[in-house]
Amino acid sequence: MKRILVVIMVSALLMAPSFGAANPNGVGDGTFDAQCGGACHGDADMNRTSASTVTLEMASVVYEGLLTSVSVTVTDVQTTSSGMLGVFLLSDVSGSGDTPQDDGWTIVSNSEGGSQNYVEVVVPSGVMQHTVEWTLRAPAVGTYDLHASVHHGAEDGNGAPFFGVSAAPISVEVQPVPVDLPRLSDGFQPPVLRTLGEATTVRLTTTSVDDVQVEWRVAGGTVQSATATPDGDGAWTFDIPASLEPVVVEWRVHLEGDGPTQTTPWLALQSEASSFTVDETTAYVQSFAMLMAFMVAFMALQRRVPPPIDQPKILPFPDEVMG
Amino acid sequence: MVSAGTLHVISTELAIGAYATAGLAFLLAGVASHGWLRTGRHLKTADLAAHFALAFGLLAMPFAMATGISSSPGDGVDHPLLINKMLLGSAAIGLALGVLLTRRRLGAQVWDDAWGRRWQSLGGLGAVGLVLITASMGGTYTRGESLLDVLSLPYDVVPLMPMWLSLAVLGLAVVNLVLMRKPRAA
Repeated sequence: MKRILVVIMVSALLMAPSFGAANPNGVGDGTFDAQCGGACHGDADMNRTSASTVTLEMASVVYEGLLTSVSVTVTDVQTTSSGMLGVFLLSDVSGSGDTPQDDGWTIVSNSEGGSQNYVEVVVPSGVMQHTVEWTLRAPAVGTYDLHASVHHGAEDGNGAPFFGVSAAPISVEVQPVPVDLPRLSDGFQPPVLRTLGEATTVRLTTTSVDDVQVEWRVAGGTVQSATATPDGDGAWTFDIPASLEPVVVEWRVHLEGDGPTQTTPWLALQSEASSFTVDETTAYVQSFAMLMAFMVAFMALQRRVPPPIDQPKILPFPDEVMG
Repeated sequence: MVSAGTLHVISTELAIGAYATAGLAFLLAGVASHGWLRTGRHLKTADLAAHFALAFGLLAMPFAMATGISSSPGDGVDHPLLINKMLLGSAAIGLALGVLLTRRRLGAQVWDDAWGRRWQSLGGLGAVGLVLITASMGGTYTRGESLLDVLSLPYDVVPLMPMWLSLAVLGLAVVNLVLMRKPRAA
């Protein structure tokens, strides 16, 4: 019993370091506060200062309830050997209640194909700059600040977490929407994910719009046009062709009407292979069942009565000689 | 601090090294127990080496599995390869436990009986084979290729049973285990 206790304790101690590391493989995209409680690095006191520079770029004036984009550029990228880099978009850096949503912004999409304020990107070795873009729906009229920060590890793999934040926030003034401004309706929610091999039909709902021009591109590629068809009551539909690889397709629309022509930001649409889902409990139970079944089946195959221990099985000489 | 990924490589190498040794020793023990190739005198050495290495590999496996889960991106088992790894790894552990428990119960006399020596060596080799396929899946998952790719094994097909069937198999195994503990009349 004492030996079993020692084995269990030694096993627990040996396994502890692996669970204590600062998630060097990331935690996945999500909606997290600045110091990401529950995200990549649990304790802010453990953080070291990142040598990377983080800058934001955005229009200084936007309209209430309309879409706008903000880009976060990280230069002098430093990360682990795997290239994992976590990038945050924040409303302040207090460490609590500081997501853009806390200030009334709505994240419509980001360039990684999600709609969260924290994204993890893989930066190839040797690349020193990376940009992540968010498309936001503006909050109520007022002046707002937006910050960005990065979390990452170190190349030497010592497990130390690094934290960097934009030197100065970007200030944005949200103004009321002019009456006749051609725009997407407040309730319009663009798709951000689609399945590989399937074309996507987007249905736009608009206000004060007489005509729509659609442009789309594979991220960083040539811009293509698509035809938008009126669908009644200010709605328009257009198709984005299917993609055969998991790439990000970006699209935007030029909205024409009585007011000045408006162009939406590029909206990201991530293509992914259909996700694999399985009931984990069923898998775990089957694993345990297989373990027991294989063990018992083999023992049943070898079921023989062992000879008594005190009876020597092999004698050095025939019985006659020994007798 | 050593990351889970590095610990996974270390613990996997420990487990695979031990299982590979066990595989060779079980092969030698099987040959020696039949008296083939004049290897009969090596039976005792091969027997001890095979079972010791198998036990060591079995001890190293939980570390490999725990660090593998820690170092895997994402939450839970969200890829067919990971499910198949888990199922095959469990089968390997079960078979290895069966081989070791049989050796413990029967002692070195497990090699005396004709069928006993066949099952023991085949069981040990089977456990090693299952572990090697499991490790090969890990290579396919992380690097996109592995040595056993030549066999074109259907890693993406998940043979998942319904819950009731798993529970029935589990119940049957437990009942058999209990019945086996009852001494049989000699």
